[in-house]
Amino acid sequence: MKNDNSMAWMLVLPALILLCIVGVVPLLAVFNYSFFDIFTLQDRFWVGLEWYGDLVGTPELYHALGRSVLFTCVILAVQFPLGIAIALLLPQQTYTSSFFLIVLAVPLVVPWNMIPIIWLNLINPDYGLIGYGIKAIGWDFDYKFNALHTWILIVLMDTWHWVGLVAILAYSGLSSIPQAYLQAAAIDSASKWQVFRFIQLPKIKGVLMMGLLLRVMDSLMIYTEAFTINAGGPEGATSFLSLELGEEIGGFDYGPAAARSVLYFLLVLVVAWIFQLSLRRQNEKEA
Amino acid sequence: MMNVLRLIGLFGVLVFILGPLVQSFLLSLIVTFPHEGFVKGDWTLLNYRNVFRDPELLASLGNSLIYVSLNVVLTLLVALPAAYAVSRYRFVGDKHLLLLLLAFRITPPVVLSLPIFLLFAKLNLLNTPVGIAVVHCLFNVPVAIWILSSFINAVPRAFDETAFLDGHSRMGFFVKLLIPAIVPGIGVSCFFCFIFSWVEVVFARILTSTGGKPVTMAIQNLFGFQTDIGLVMAMTVISLLPGLALIYFVRNHISKGFQLRG
Repeated sequence: MKNDNSMAWMLVLPALILLCIVGVVPLLAVFNYSFFDIFTLQDRFWVGLEWYGDLVGTPELYHALGRSVLFTCVILAVQFPLGIAIALLLPQQTYTSSFFLIVLAVPLVVPWNMIPIIWLNLINPDYGLIGYGIKAIGWDFDYKFNALHTWILIVLMDTWHWVGLVAILAYSGLSSIPQAYLQAAAIDSASKWQVFRFIQLPKIKGVLMMGLLLRVMDSLMIYTEAFTINAGGPEGATSFLSLELGEEIGGFDYGPAAARSVLYFLLVLVVAWIFQLSLRRQNEKEA
Repeated sequence: MMNVLRLIGLFGVLVFILGPLVQSFLLSLIVTFPHEGFVKGDWTLLNYRNVFRDPELLASLGNSLIYVSLNVVLTLLVALPAAYAVSRYRFVGDKHLLLLLLAFRITPPVVLSLPIFLLFAKLNLLNTPVGIAVVHCLFNVPVAIWILSSFINAVPRAFDETAFLDGHSRMGFFVKLLIPAIVPGIGVSCFFCFIFSWVEVVFARILTSTGGKPVTMAIQNLFGFQTDIGLVMAMTVISLLPGLALIYFVRNHISKGFQLRG
């Protein structure tokens, strides 16, 4: 690799300027608001760290964080094994696999605010396809008032939405494995599990990292879909981090909302940093 | 035996992914709302006709197409040189830059929605597709840089050096040689920019409160005291078409180009 600082920075500059406008400047503004009690933007009072104190000092924040982390763990535990399994099912480089890649990508292009609507329609006991099924087996499914059922619905919906991304990424890793590796394994009469464990899994680790990062953050901060399903209910059982923030902004509590935003951004930064470290370690191991 | 299991598995995937959409598609073909001369519950193309008769829905399709295309162009313009730098050079601060990219990609839009609204009000970018196009760069530029740089990594370094020896300027090399060499990567970047931008709701809502609404918000507006769910589903089905077309074009490349550098 060459060292050529000025040239490299020249090339990066346009992207950096754009990101400053849409990222850095708004972040600084949020940081600034978080120290004020804001009635209108002209009419505001310095309150120092009061909002931060309120946030950190009450248990609600930790409960919401706990719910979000649990949700993320469930999502990862469901979507990664499932996505990898789907990728392993697909035949390599044929019309069938192209067809399935297209099918898997379809939920990704559905507008996010329509995804909960589609699912609420599906489980509607009067005309939903799944609703009929639930009624037929006599299951007392109540996503409005039963917390477990709300969770099942949101996890199912999120899996439908995103498992395709995991599968596509895993498939892309699998198709980069040279045939010779698999032939050598066949000669050594390796079992399916051994092939997966020692050849396929190491090869798809890199792309899965990207999927992991996207899924961790998007599920940790899930907003639109979860809110439309049950507005955080029943009794706050699905009130995740972003939902609480959305509520504050909706209620025009800009000061506390800004303080919360700053905390969330710090959380994002920590996750990104941990992720970068592990990525670098992995790359060094390969090099 | 193995093949039977595989077929069952693939069939299961098909049902799980497409099943939920089947109902939406069916609803879009049924009269679900009292319209003159139609019986509720009948099969019809009325909902689709109504979409094309509603100037607001048509305008929203236009708005969405405009902002997504603008966003893709803008993203590629800034991401291409940056991806080249990330792929070919080690420079002071490159690790911080990558961390910043990661952080911005995963920052939830809700966190920035309020200051973005105020900033864009000052810049006169409210209620226009341009505003959405710019703000979506927040998460699309990082994604595009990752994808493009992994495609550039696959181009051997000698390719650049030969071109410079042959007397190509840097600009000439970029346009005439490098870009044609990574066309699949550009396609894949477009696809991912599209899927994160077309479907985004939080920024789109806050930036278009009174006009310039994109498809997502136009659909949202159809909900009210009495909702014509057939019309909603028809609009949803139409909103899938551009995405499906794009998936079709990049289907053979979609599975390449995701190696991250830390």
